[in-house]
Amino acid sequence: MIAQLVDVRKNYGTRAALDGVTLGIARGELVALLGANGAGKTTTLEILLGLRRQDSGTVQLAAASTGVTPQETGMPQNLRVGEILEFVVSHYRTNRAQEVLEAFGLSASVKRQTGALSGGQLRRLALALAFAGEPELVVLDEPTTGLDVEARRSAWSYVRSYVQRGGTVLLTTHHMEEAEALADRILVMSAGRIVHEGTPAQIRRSVTAKRVTYEGAPFDPAAYGIEAVVESNGSRVTILTPETDELVRAMVLNGVKFAELAVSEASLEDAVLALTAGPQ
Amino acid sequence: MRQTLVYARMQWLQLVRLPGFLIPTLGFPALFFTFFDLGYARAHASVAPYLVLSYVAFAIIGVTLFQFGVGIANERATPWERYLRTLPAPVAVRFAGRILVAICFACVAAALVVAVALASTQLHFSAAQALRIAVCALGGGIVFTLFGIAIGYWCTPKSAIPIANLLYLLLSFAGGLWVPPSQLPAFAAAVSPFTPTRQFAELLWSALGTPSWQAAGALSIFAVLFGVLAAIGYRRDERQKYA
Repeated sequence: MIAQLVDVRKNYGTRAALDGVTLGIARGELVALLGANGAGKTTTLEILLGLRRQDSGTVQLAAASTGVTPQETGMPQNLRVGEILEFVVSHYRTNRAQEVLEAFGLSASVKRQTGALSGGQLRRLALALAFAGEPELVVLDEPTTGLDVEARRSAWSYVRSYVQRGGTVLLTTHHMEEAEALADRILVMSAGRIVHEGTPAQIRRSVTAKRVTYEGAPFDPAAYGIEAVVESNGSRVTILTPETDELVRAMVLNGVKFAELAVSEASLEDAVLALTAGPQ
Repeated sequence: MRQTLVYARMQWLQLVRLPGFLIPTLGFPALFFTFFDLGYARAHASVAPYLVLSYVAFAIIGVTLFQFGVGIANERATPWERYLRTLPAPVAVRFAGRILVAICFACVAAALVVAVALASTQLHFSAAQALRIAVCALGGGIVFTLFGIAIGYWCTPKSAIPIANLLYLLLSFAGGLWVPPSQLPAFAAAVSPFTPTRQFAELLWSALGTPSWQAAGALSIFAVLFGVLAAIGYRRDERQKYA
């Protein structure tokens, strides 16, 4: 294990940010913490990195070096890209500054001060800094938020090549797609707990739930042996289920009155809801 | 050591690209000297070294209060600070880097004052005097560095600039850096001996002959006081940020 948290708890005032988190990351693994905003992902990373202290539980970090992305908003505005990179790299044994400049499309911006960079460029610089010294463990908080599709793809491909060389990555994301594209293992977080864990394939299987919505009276699919989570808001009913065809068939056969029926892909929030409220 | 130089370089690059910091802290002491006291120093050769040393103190205090006070207050509020903590470097290295740069800036600011005086008055320091002055200047610089660090940790980014300015100007005046202590108005003369600026000036003036142990002792007391304030402020900040 390169990093391990055991039963870590953290309260902010009376709110429990982490409610007993246990996780371990093996060397060479790429783990994604997936969850909605406020699920406790960032707090988990901060505690692992020593930026916050847990109220209870143990944290072990066995990596000889870690790479982290700084927040783009706080970078020293009058330093040049090349200077910041050189500065960060000086903390590590390996120097991949040239390589990350190219990988993150910053070669042409080496001489520019960070104050003159666009939001996307700053984000890419932040990513480049995490990898520039080839640390043993890279920790990324929402790595590709704010990147366009192309930049996101090239960031993903760099992350993969780093893991192939033997690097370890822990990242947080609220994009299902990102977790699927990168992770060996996904940990789904909700309300300060890890509610589900598995390979992307396993997670996908457990969140194949689709979202069925209609105007009308609530309907209890469980009575027909259909696995589902039902929510109603006024006359608007939302049902999350992997068995949409069976559900609709049961509704028709049982004469449930409905209007404006729609079936859509489950959002991550739906998926987390399905995983937390589901019958497993 | 290599890491200290790396941090010093970062600090240096950031500051030399900030004209708003560079011009006032480096240039004002020499400018003030030229405007207010150069004429007097030319006319009274025996007083000239004292005046010059007052402005040397003024220069050193300016660099330390602004670079540490304002600098730390601003930086500790930024996310970049959190990021730096994730890099494998001890906190001491960052302070050391900052101190190294402060010494460079203080030397430049003080050298400008001395250069103006050397060029336009009969001023002359013997090598022994220059050495004693340098040592005393460094010692006083350490006291005001601690003062600056305390300001940096106890002030918010917004309040640090006015507070540093106020302390800088009030203490410089009350300390007799602009007007010789004997000519200070009564109320200022009364508090003057209790200001760190006055003790620093006394130490530098005495370095023309035998350095004053009394001034050195008084400055040591200030050093302890500011050091404790800085340490408490630092701890408080750490607790708030990384709890």
